[in-house]
Amino acid sequence: MANATTDAPPAAPERARRGTARQDAQSVLLLGSVFVIATCGLIYELIAGTLASYLLGDSVTQFSTIIGAYLFSMGVGSWLSRYLGGALLKWFIRLEILVGLVGGFSAPLLFILFEYVASFRLILYALVGLTGILVGLEIPLLMRILENRFEFKDLVSRVFTFDYIGALLASLIFPLVLVPQLGLMRTSLLFGALNVVVAAVALYRFAETRPYRRSFAALMAAALLALAVTFGYAGRIQRYTETLAFQDQVIFAKSTIYQRIVLTKNQRELRLFLNGNLQFSSQDEYRYHEALVHPAMQALPNARRVLVLGGGDGLAVRELLKYPQLQQIRLVDLDAGMTELFKQNHLLTALNQRSFFNPKVQVVNGDAYQWVRQDTTRYDCLIIDFPDPANYSIGKLYSAAFYQELHRLLAPGGKLVVQSTSPYVARQSFWCIAHTLQAAGFHTIPYHCYVPSFGEWGYVLAGENGHWRPNAGPLPRGLRYVTPVTIRQMLDFPPDMAEVPTDINQLNNQALVRYFEEDWGPYVH
Amino acid sequence: MLPHNSSPFPAPSPTDLSRRDFLARTGIGVAGLLLGPGVLLESCSPAGSATSHIQGGLRGADHAVGHLLRTPGQLPAPSQELSTDILIVGGGVAGLAARRELARHGHEPLLLELEARTGGNAASGQNPVSAYPWGAHYLPVPDARNHELLAFLRESGVITGVDEASGQPIYNEYHLCHDPEERLLLNGHWQQGLVPEVGVPAADRAQITRFFRVIGELKQARGTDGRDAFAIPLDHSSTDVQFRRLDQLSFAAYLDREGFTSPYLRWYLDYSCRDDYGATAAQVSAWAGLHYFAARKGHAHNATATDVLTWPEGNGFLVEQLRRQGKGTILPGTVACQLQETPAGVEVLAYDASTRRTIRIRARQVLLAVPHFVAQRLLAGIEGTTQPAQPLHHAPWLVANLTINGLPQGPGQPLCWDNVGYGGASVGYVNANHQHLSLSADGPRVITLYWPLTDAPPAVARRQAYQTTYAEWLPRILAELEHLHPGATPHVQRVEAWVWGHGMVAPTPGFLWGPERAKLAQPLRQRIFFAHSDYSGMSIFEEAFYQGLRATHEMRAAV
Repeated sequence: MANATTDAPPAAPERARRGTARQDAQSVLLLGSVFVIATCGLIYELIAGTLASYLLGDSVTQFSTIIGAYLFSMGVGSWLSRYLGGALLKWFIRLEILVGLVGGFSAPLLFILFEYVASFRLILYALVGLTGILVGLEIPLLMRILENRFEFKDLVSRVFTFDYIGALLASLIFPLVLVPQLGLMRTSLLFGALNVVVAAVALYRFAETRPYRRSFAALMAAALLALAVTFGYAGRIQRYTETLAFQDQVIFAKSTIYQRIVLTKNQRELRLFLNGNLQFSSQDEYRYHEALVHPAMQALPNARRVLVLGGGDGLAVRELLKYPQLQQIRLVDLDAGMTELFKQNHLLTALNQRSFFNPKVQVVNGDAYQWVRQDTTRYDCLIIDFPDPANYSIGKLYSAAFYQELHRLLAPGGKLVVQSTSPYVARQSFWCIAHTLQAAGFHTIPYHCYVPSFGEWGYVLAGENGHWRPNAGPLPRGLRYVTPVTIRQMLDFPPDMAEVPTDINQLNNQALVRYFEEDWGPYVH
Repeated sequence: MLPHNSSPFPAPSPTDLSRRDFLARTGIGVAGLLLGPGVLLESCSPAGSATSHIQGGLRGADHAVGHLLRTPGQLPAPSQELSTDILIVGGGVAGLAARRELARHGHEPLLLELEARTGGNAASGQNPVSAYPWGAHYLPVPDARNHELLAFLRESGVITGVDEASGQPIYNEYHLCHDPEERLLLNGHWQQGLVPEVGVPAADRAQITRFFRVIGELKQARGTDGRDAFAIPLDHSSTDVQFRRLDQLSFAAYLDREGFTSPYLRWYLDYSCRDDYGATAAQVSAWAGLHYFAARKGHAHNATATDVLTWPEGNGFLVEQLRRQGKGTILPGTVACQLQETPAGVEVLAYDASTRRTIRIRARQVLLAVPHFVAQRLLAGIEGTTQPAQPLHHAPWLVANLTINGLPQGPGQPLCWDNVGYGGASVGYVNANHQHLSLSADGPRVITLYWPLTDAPPAVARRQAYQTTYAEWLPRILAELEHLHPGATPHVQRVEAWVWGHGMVAPTPGFLWGPERAKLAQPLRQRIFFAHSDYSGMSIFEEAFYQGLRATHEMRAAV
């Protein structure tokens, strides 16, 4: 920097010494800035890469393309730096505020914008490009500011040393400290603030900034305030939503008019939560869905039509598609937000094997109760995969009145199966569902299996008659859990899950919701 | 919960005169006639205020038609003549129940209904969000010995069968009020059920327990005549003096005498009286106050005595069933104005407001299924009519239907069917969407706020109610809502209000078992008959239905 101080040139040795000391301090400060901005720059890159692989799946591709795009944009920024002239320090301060804002808000912005899936990639790469260009401007600009203070070889050596040390620090603290402690959103905001602080320090340590100090100080205060408010707000959002409630990283969250859908991910598995309740883990969902579908379906070798109520994840449908004799699978799920998510998200379509795109499958977004009352089709099998009866609205879908409607929909000899919560944790609830089906005139076969992420889980198989065998027909090839032997084992209820007397769940008593509250209460509160 | 019946006598078709003009001209007495819908005075709050987004209006009555009843001399000359064997005046529950019963015996009576639709006190409305009641909206699971009522419910699909083992009726689950049924906002917390519990001191709880023990005994109690102490229809109750003398004192005096002084219990009992009779515990008789609790003896395979039957449109469902199960022409929008006896029977002049024509109707028998004070006016100049010593106690009500998009909920029990605030001026609101089966948890809904205007004597309260404009009602209605749900006003989209001038008859001390009530319902010369819940002294569906049947039996016996 040509005129680092206004009181140069050094006239007396003492002044010269003092001046050199000040200049040294300023140089150290600027090199320190290199270190900080290098750390920040890499953090933004890591955030973008992590977010992209969380949100879009396929981490190798995402990381590779994000890093490539980021580095290329940095190159563009470096090239553009030649067009910056005049008061370089002023440019530097400007730049740091801008990097702080763009980089700092990148994670919150991407999380919010992910709901607009169609243009998400465009937004992602535009943001990565912008951040890259701004970060790419930083080092060349700093080197020009420092060029008169060091010899060229020292300058290059020191700047790049600090740059790479910063990168090392960033790459270590990002996975080990920042993501687990702060999460992506707060990390990004925090490092945005650090960029602004670098600008602030430069503003106050260099006398030449005096003419514009006031206006820039106001700008920085506003930027810091915005970042801090968002940081604080992120905490409030987290309290109300999921990030703290879930042990893994939240990679998708969306409130539809019916529910809050949250997807989390760790190295091993994806987990889906609806209103905070675990719906499945990709690790062991096959156990749940095989047990839901195959005991009924293996007994219906001539089945043609199946109705799935709930199950907007398409995973039960995936199991049904293993029966080539089926001609039509109709799925009725209330929430278009849910079924759309399972049609569009790469990670999720990989899990349900694009089952919703199969021509045999019809997806209807509608209210199951209304649907059942007006549907005149007869089905060979009904798969009822509703959320647990945790409130009065859902409790209606487990009522005797609802089950009575199902007689009309069942073809002669047809079977239905109801996911029936945990017979171990919610023993009364489970048997209440079985008894309610009986009261509605069905023969019931209760069974259960072990799903590690859920614990013991229960189902009730029901039909107009009691004809059913665990080895009635062939099972599809390639099942990982259900075999004729496991089906037989599923029928056995040890004493701690054995039948207990319960009321019938009716619309006018909602006995099940009350049992469910009693049963799960001690586990939740 | 405004109970069930009473056939008002309102008029259809709009008018360009304001309600105030009408009141000034016709006087309050006739104003009482004009209870029903017809005129919707659409209005909005002042722009820019916190309530300016709320649309709606006050449903009023048509003065022109009602006026004719008072001055039949002004009727145009009859331009149409009809003759019928039986003429029913009034299409409320009693009139429709009589019409249905007559159809079962091969009769096709002609029925005149002042409104555009039959239904009386069980009127209902509908908007894109839900059907909703304008008045009576539920029926408790009836006593299994009330065979006629059960037969009607079977025919209506409300009872779907009989349990073979117990012999008890099985009710259609869609018609039984879904759980959760009731909640009370008490000490800032929504508790389950309406009997105060949360934060209630032990001494008060002990009184509440003792009260319900007394009720338990009275439910079982039978007189020396073998009849239940308290029955529905109430005419089936025991005639023993030990029970009937409870009709001589007020419910409040009885409670004082028996040491039921807990303010929580007294609030609950006062609420119950206002809810069912539109009058306070001090205004109704002890027999009636106890009857509210001790006469509910419903039995069902899949429900208990405390369960009720309800529909989004309230008892509009039941009156529609009654109408369908009857036979014979219904002339809507037609008011009976004048009645004369002839050698062959009765001649009635009726005015059709839509065609502005007078119809002369000749009938062998006429059934006046209208409130007592309307019947009295029609019978002016007819020999042998009985005048009560003082007019029957008819409380005015305000009923408001609010269309809301979301409702901020307080702590405790979630939204129920019936939602009441402890100490509130109204008796709370009912969620019209409650029986909907849809999952959409917090979408738009209609709630019906019930408000018996019991702060002043009925005639005064009625006059005040009629003079209150929509702009004056709206903030009061919203204040009631805000009391239950602070911050709810921005969610309110529409408020429709309806003033029932003579909402329901109240069983004041001495009325139920004094000599007067039976005399009022006595037929005149086997030609003119009476059916209305006024003649029971309680405005509930079961009583109006019973009165319709009783009158039908009298008419058939007269032949």
